[in-house]
Amino acid sequence: MSKRYTIGLVALVLGLMLALQFRTTQNTEPTVPYDRASELTAELRALEKETTGLEADAGDLERKLSRARMGYTQAEEILRAEVKDAAVIAGVAPVEGPGVRVRISDPGERGAQSGIFTVRDEDLLKLINELRAAGAEAMSINRQRIVSTSEVRLAGSVINVNTQKITPPYEILAIGGPAALRSSLEIRNGLVETLRDWGMEVTVEDKDHIVIPAYRGSLRFEFARQAREG
Amino acid sequence: MWVGVWLAVIGLIIGVAVGLKVPLVFPQAYGKYMGLAVLAALDSVFGGVRASMEERFDNVIFLSGFFSNALLAAGLVFIGDRLGVELYTAAIVAFGVRLFQNLGIIRRYLLKKSNKLKK
Repeated sequence: MSKRYTIGLVALVLGLMLALQFRTTQNTEPTVPYDRASELTAELRALEKETTGLEADAGDLERKLSRARMGYTQAEEILRAEVKDAAVIAGVAPVEGPGVRVRISDPGERGAQSGIFTVRDEDLLKLINELRAAGAEAMSINRQRIVSTSEVRLAGSVINVNTQKITPPYEILAIGGPAALRSSLEIRNGLVETLRDWGMEVTVEDKDHIVIPAYRGSLRFEFARQAREG
Repeated sequence: MWVGVWLAVIGLIIGVAVGLKVPLVFPQAYGKYMGLAVLAALDSVFGGVRASMEERFDNVIFLSGFFSNALLAAGLVFIGDRLGVELYTAAIVAFGVRLFQNLGIIRRYLLKKSNKLKK
């Protein structure tokens, strides 16, 4: 009879396993039948394969996208550079470089016949014309940038440039090859000589570094439109 | 002869109490093995109770029966899983039939006892 404790022992083990199994099945989802499980496994494998394929696709597309973006930024950089160049050419950006400085002022007291021999708008225009022909890339008269719409015009008794009054002494700055600019003005029987003959004080100086300010007016075209090419 | 029943009941209660407290969870994959082990243990306990009622309880037979039953059941589950045939149903059926047989015999013994007591 004392041997029967093994029944209790096995019953104990049974109870233990029962409780454990009970808790296990309670903690987890309802069990899936074996067939269903294998079916789901196959499906999972197929989906995994599909996922890796799609991931590869995604990586490929991302690479393409980044390449396209790189092209985009490059295009943007090119456009920026073009805008900068255009701003320099149009005169809406300040520029610097080597060139000449021309100073011209009315005859002093010794020139009694004032009126005839004062510096006129035409003289300035001729100077600008001459400089431009000699390859000046940017010019200003008394800090007024000469742009495509600039005028040099006598209005009453003063000269207007970019509709701003300028007063003597006039200072023309031009960026370009200094030697070419200078020689175009100081050529024998050239403009400077003529002006000096008339009693005006003209000085032409080479400069290594000239800063020409930007055009400060507005550039708005009311009538002109871009024509279709061809 | 009541000793067997009482031992079984007490052991069951203690086992359940301990099992509910132990923070141990079996992986789902072993659920089948566990279930069959439970069945084998149940069969052994019923067999043991019946044997103790018949007053021919033997420790060695009881324990060896318990372990061999459990091992065969687990083996059937394992082989069934490998072969894709649900062999463990054989173990379930065999254990189930024996459970009910043993229960019937125990019931009859108990009824006989109570009849004798009444007389």
